[in-house]
Amino acid sequence: MTAAARTETEFDCDAALRACASGDRAALHALYASEARRMIGVARRILKRDALAEEAVHDSFVQIWRQAASFDPARGAARTWIYAIVRHRALNILRGETRTDLVDDLEPFGLEAPDESPEAAMLRLSESGRLRACLERLEAPRRAALLLAYVNGLTHGELAGRFGVPLGTMKSWVRRSLLSLRECLA
Amino acid sequence: MSPHNDGAPVSGDEADILAAEFVLGLLDAPDEARAAERVRQDKDFAARVEQWRARFSELDITAPEGAAHAALLARIEHTLDSETAAAAPVKDTARVSDDRAMGARANGAPPGGAPRGWTVLAARLWDSLGFWRLSACAGAAASLLLALTLALVPPRLGPQPQLVAVLLGPQGEPAAVVNAYADGTADLVPLRSISVPDGRVLEVWTLQDAARGPVSIGLTSEARRIPLDLKSLPRTGPNQLFEITLEPRGGSPIGRPTGPILMKGTTSVAL
Repeated sequence: MTAAARTETEFDCDAALRACASGDRAALHALYASEARRMIGVARRILKRDALAEEAVHDSFVQIWRQAASFDPARGAARTWIYAIVRHRALNILRGETRTDLVDDLEPFGLEAPDESPEAAMLRLSESGRLRACLERLEAPRRAALLLAYVNGLTHGELAGRFGVPLGTMKSWVRRSLLSLRECLA
Repeated sequence: MSPHNDGAPVSGDEADILAAEFVLGLLDAPDEARAAERVRQDKDFAARVEQWRARFSELDITAPEGAAHAALLARIEHTLDSETAAAAPVKDTARVSDDRAMGARANGAPPGGAPRGWTVLAARLWDSLGFWRLSACAGAAASLLLALTLALVPPRLGPQPQLVAVLLGPQGEPAAVVNAYADGTADLVPLRSISVPDGRVLEVWTLQDAARGPVSIGLTSEARRIPLDLKSLPRTGPNQLFEITLEPRGGSPIGRPTGPILMKGTTSVAL
């Protein structure tokens, strides 16, 4: 992983998780103070609505507290673990609680956050970072498809609709993009 | 879907692509469940998932920051406190500690497990097809009863609603009715029972003006007929949205819905 936006004074998620595992509520507060704004941002890119994003972050903190003891630093970074929980929870809310209900055909509550272009997320990546360099090597629509999946939670089917290609074509776009991304990042 | 088989060996590329699709969130529900299980069982696959997470994690930092209110932290604490009070965490921890996938959906938890806060309960109920089927049946039966009552009871003496909104649950089953009367009053009539977790209430909202946002018009701890408070609002109109969410006791701390939407619907003119 590159050092995008990392500083010496960066909050120590790893230590916070260890403290949470030992039942230290103050560590949870510190984690909230440091990460909640960004976590809400990640959830909002997927869920669009602030209230739902807050719901995802609420559930994530509950899960983080409960599972802190199961976090294993040997397997990966604490921050990655935390954000995987947020994204997963947001995707579950998106698919389980919004997509299948009636929100679509009735006016939804509140104002939806405007959809940012998929390129925008990429342009905020560190210019010196590997991920950005490797994403930039993909053809624009294929890069956009990966970004829309990761950042906004689109499914294969939604991506196919958005790009006007058959589902099978979209699946193979994604596969090939992932393989070249892996090769580039290796 | 993906050409992988349950538990069958697949080439490195296949496993790697599957891991990446799992991380991206592209898998459909059955494939996702299989992949989450595989993360738990298969160290190699778990490592691939971890690697893809690390590769994409830079993108998380690009999210524009939202506002983290103190109320949200308070609600998290409240959930954790009610868990501690109600739950048997020891048993839970054992199960959770090898939940390496973080992919276990709320309804993947064993039924009859200790209650772990309203969110989990609500999520379980929400995710539980059986619950909704049962509710739908109960709702249908209640609707039928209501229809029969309306049909059999002679035209009434009491006030007739001018506008009616049928609030539908997640499967499209009728769950409650909002009646708005000529004198400006309104009431809510549930059509089925709703299990409300301890410390939570049902909050009724309406949206008249997108700029103002939803306005709270009623609170109840159980599904029963309640009057709605429309005093601070302009007269109810057709196509006005009503919905019910699950909120902390005393109602949403921030004056707008924070919990899951249990039902919603819009008004129509009663003939």
